[in-house]
Amino acid sequence: MDSGEAHAQRPVTLDIAVEDVNQEVSAPAPSEATIGQTPPTDGGLPQEDSIDLGRDFATPQDDSSATPSESLMDKLNDQMMESVMISDSPNNSEEDDVVPIDSLLDGGEEEENVAEGNQEEQSEIRQNTTEIKVSVEEQEEGGLQEKPEEATKPKDEPVPVCTIFSQGTQPKSLVPDGFQPTLIKSPSFSMGGGEDVVTPNKMGGPLVCQPSPSLSKFFTDNGQTNPASDFFDSFTAPSSFISVSNPNAEIPPGSLQPPTPQTASAPGSAPTSAPAAPPQPFNQLFSGSDDPFATALSLNEADRRHDAWLPCEETRKVLISVATQQYGPAYLESSRLTMPGLKFDNLQGDAVKDLMLRFLGEAAAAKRQVLTANSVDQSFNGLKQLISSKNWRAAVDLTARMLTAHGQGYGKAGQPTSHTTDSLQLWFVRLALLTKLGLFQNAELEFEPFGNLDQPDLYYEYYPTVYPGRKGSMVPFSMRLLHAELHSTWLMLTPPPASCSSQILENLETGSAEDGSMITLTQENRQASLKLWRSRLSRVMYSMANCLLLMKDYVLAVDTYQSIIQYEPQQRAQLLSGIGRIFLQIGDVKTAERFFQDVEKSGQVKGSQQALATCVLMNRAFVHLSQNNYAEAHASFIEVLKIDPKNPVANNNAAVCLLYLGRLKESLGQLEGLVQQDPTQYLHESVLFNLTTMYELESSRSTQKKQALLEAVACREGDSFNTQCLKLV
Amino acid sequence: LTVNMSLYFTVMRLTKPTLFTNLPATCEDRDLPGDLFGQLMRQDPSTIKGAETLMLGEMLTLPQNFGNIFLGETFSSYISVHNDSSQVVKDILVKADLQTSSQRLNLSASNSAVAELKPECCIDDVIHHEVKEIGTHILVCAVSYTTQQGEKLYFRKFFKFQVLKPLDVKTKFYNAETDEVFLEAQIQNITTSPMFMEKVSLEPSMMYNVTELNMVTQADKGESTFGKMSYLQPMDTRQYLYCLKPKPEYAEKAGIIKGVTVIGKLDIVWKTNLGERGRLQTSQLQRMAPGYGDIRLSLDLIPDTVNLEEPFDIICKITNCSERTMDLVLEMCNTSSIHWCGISGRQLGKLSPGAFLSLPLTVLSSVQGLQSISGLRLTDTFLKRTYEYDDIAQVCVVCPFTSNEC
Repeated sequence: MDSGEAHAQRPVTLDIAVEDVNQEVSAPAPSEATIGQTPPTDGGLPQEDSIDLGRDFATPQDDSSATPSESLMDKLNDQMMESVMISDSPNNSEEDDVVPIDSLLDGGEEEENVAEGNQEEQSEIRQNTTEIKVSVEEQEEGGLQEKPEEATKPKDEPVPVCTIFSQGTQPKSLVPDGFQPTLIKSPSFSMGGGEDVVTPNKMGGPLVCQPSPSLSKFFTDNGQTNPASDFFDSFTAPSSFISVSNPNAEIPPGSLQPPTPQTASAPGSAPTSAPAAPPQPFNQLFSGSDDPFATALSLNEADRRHDAWLPCEETRKVLISVATQQYGPAYLESSRLTMPGLKFDNLQGDAVKDLMLRFLGEAAAAKRQVLTANSVDQSFNGLKQLISSKNWRAAVDLTARMLTAHGQGYGKAGQPTSHTTDSLQLWFVRLALLTKLGLFQNAELEFEPFGNLDQPDLYYEYYPTVYPGRKGSMVPFSMRLLHAELHSTWLMLTPPPASCSSQILENLETGSAEDGSMITLTQENRQASLKLWRSRLSRVMYSMANCLLLMKDYVLAVDTYQSIIQYEPQQRAQLLSGIGRIFLQIGDVKTAERFFQDVEKSGQVKGSQQALATCVLMNRAFVHLSQNNYAEAHASFIEVLKIDPKNPVANNNAAVCLLYLGRLKESLGQLEGLVQQDPTQYLHESVLFNLTTMYELESSRSTQKKQALLEAVACREGDSFNTQCLKLV
Repeated sequence: LTVNMSLYFTVMRLTKPTLFTNLPATCEDRDLPGDLFGQLMRQDPSTIKGAETLMLGEMLTLPQNFGNIFLGETFSSYISVHNDSSQVVKDILVKADLQTSSQRLNLSASNSAVAELKPECCIDDVIHHEVKEIGTHILVCAVSYTTQQGEKLYFRKFFKFQVLKPLDVKTKFYNAETDEVFLEAQIQNITTSPMFMEKVSLEPSMMYNVTELNMVTQADKGESTFGKMSYLQPMDTRQYLYCLKPKPEYAEKAGIIKGVTVIGKLDIVWKTNLGERGRLQTSQLQRMAPGYGDIRLSLDLIPDTVNLEEPFDIICKITNCSERTMDLVLEMCNTSSIHWCGISGRQLGKLSPGAFLSLPLTVLSSVQGLQSISGLRLTDTFLKRTYEYDDIAQVCVVCPFTSNEC
């Protein structure tokens, strides 16, 4: 409202409804309003020079003057529109955090702050985890003794596997179902609770003073020690010191002494010299009996299947040389290592609560109860709790803590570290949550040190002592997918997961193992692998199609969605309908109808009849909508509700149609009723957005009504709720 | 003050709603969150059940901002007048006018007053208007009403917006040897969203018949020359080609089509998000017909390949494009490669204006390769004016014996 200039430059933003509110406020008396509004009339009209388009428009000669400014403006608008869609970052952390990342050496003050922050966080972790740590140790001892027996036990007996071994000494081979590290918590984190977290900072004065020299010294002094073995030490050794696996960040002086004899060229240190040294359990295990060995192999199947990946040639060579013990990985130059670290560590906060403070007062805000990173167990369980209660921001905070404890905290990017299944899972969860929250820039920034996820230290083969016999990618497949999604949207690269997955599938189909090696797989295993990799390939194709759609490459997007049908025949109706909606979005109603007809034809095939009928009716409604026939569209949505009265989409869409039919009050009444009756279904940002838009249209009391919605949201939704849809700010 | 404010009055532009999109982030059972992500996605009402990773959902959301409006599109708005007070308001008249730079249009559905509006009730109106001018438009909404105290009140609101040009159209004409005219129209999408081109047709003027050359017909199946998708991305340009043939009654008198002629106009219909429709017509496309002078000589028949030193036949068509009768004499002059057979300097007789005659001639070439037919001279004996016709066509001359000699 404030300037005619703004309109002239960018007419897009002219928001009628908003403008109007301002007018009411600024001009209480109608007569004044009139006066206040006149200038635009005067200013607006005479400026236009050529309006008579009939002539201006078509003649070939005129066209050369085809207004570059206008197209430039369109481009700008386009970008702006894009950004409206994507960015929702409530805090400006992206910009704020860029600066201090690498400034460890020069930024004295900041560093202190960071350190303090870390200490605080760690102490919290410590409080929460002491108990667990004890139990872990107990189990450790028990585990050691029981091992041979355990290995021979029947498969389905639940084994109380201690987490340390599930990580370090690969008890996975001992876990009966061969499946997951049912990890309560990463050992490194639980150890992180140990008292000595702080000691390195206190004692390791020289290390702190010159971090990088100390690193090289650390490596060279100890001959061919590799970080993996140090890491291994770090949590299997008696817990008197080590807490964190990152050798640079927190090297306990003691750990310098017992370097694990990893390579032949390190004769000075024998396995016996370190009683608690990692290889021991395995020595026991393997020498103990042949049976566990066999069991271990068979249980490895699931690992092999899931972790299979095809590293690039260079990485493959490094991994082979590690396996054949030609040289220790310590020789690897740092550019070939993955050195991640948090890029921002500010707390994510709770936007709902902030809004409550602002609009409802402190008393109301105090009632808002959500889980935070502090209020849950500092473990994977706590993390899961936060995720399932939709407190994704708190979950991001918690991953930050756990990663800090792992030595990959704020500012640690670019410093040598080592990786475990758990640390990478934490990164995955963190980055996935950032993406879900729409904080793409943050996710991208933190993904950066991972490169293309193909460095040797992201493969199990790189840590032969920690994960003996285990092969493949330590990076979860879902993380690779996420990485590809983020990058193909912005860099327009073909995601490697696609090529890799299809190559692995091809390998399986042509009779070799996933990685192309000639290991013989049992029929059962081969089928399981094929099933897994087919589903992965279809997931990758979904990602590609989604990205293509975001990039507005509709031709390829449609082709890709269509080719998913062969992998997911049970999703045929949904996919064809989705393709039809893409055509509707472009405006090609006829082609859309063709796809919708295909859905109707595929009717007899399978799936529940109700779901298909719903799908068909929805499609019809969208076609009516695209033909500007809102009455028919509304009728079709109502038809859906006859079959499935609780269908939230049909309910919402019917209400939207009512508005286009000029029935605001009805539409509003319907949506309001839905939100009140079934808040779990309808407190969704799309529904709330529609509701608040209609509030603004309806009356001057929209703010109160929105605040009532805020209260409803506050009782039910977690901190990941997107408050923008309430349109309060 | 409260009395004055008793009516709340808003306008919202109704562009098409949009489909809500999800950003699926998934994980596998072995990953840390286990099935949590999947569970959350299944619970989310906006996902497609059974195919949660499909990004484009079905949930409709109302337009988020005014957006752009382009020439040829329909401007739709919701006008809502709501009684926020606790008193009944009488004789409410809502008027919506659209002021363009050239005119003022009334858009209200009804011009009669509403007798009374109770508290918490509203008057709704959805207005539509096909935008026909570029530039600044101002929606002027006026509400007048009478309060319970009998006070007559009136207020207006102005909503200004710019109408932009959606397409850039460039045209080019190609004149064929025959009387056909080819029109190439380049249409560029200068909006910010993809555009489905539902119809781009040429409405010819009365003199022409038009054939659209934008489909490839194979085995009864017409396939667009633009491939599977008939949409234009922002800033993309597409070439449409049309062939215009003069109708027979005009073709007979080719000489008559002279100077600037009206070819026709392009009719363009497009659609964008969920069928938002737009339509534009260009102004009459005009073309300068090529000048043929007084006499036009064209070729009705000529072989493309001939044998060396072997006579071949051509048929010339001679049209009198002038406004007087001519008495013509034909001379045929040999060039270094082209040799005319027959008598040079023969009388062709009188030719009245607009009339033509067909003239079979025989010619041979003594040189291989691509040869130009040249050397025809027509002399009008009335005015003693000679017209020269060189390079009227080319033939490829080949040697039939080459293969034998090898």
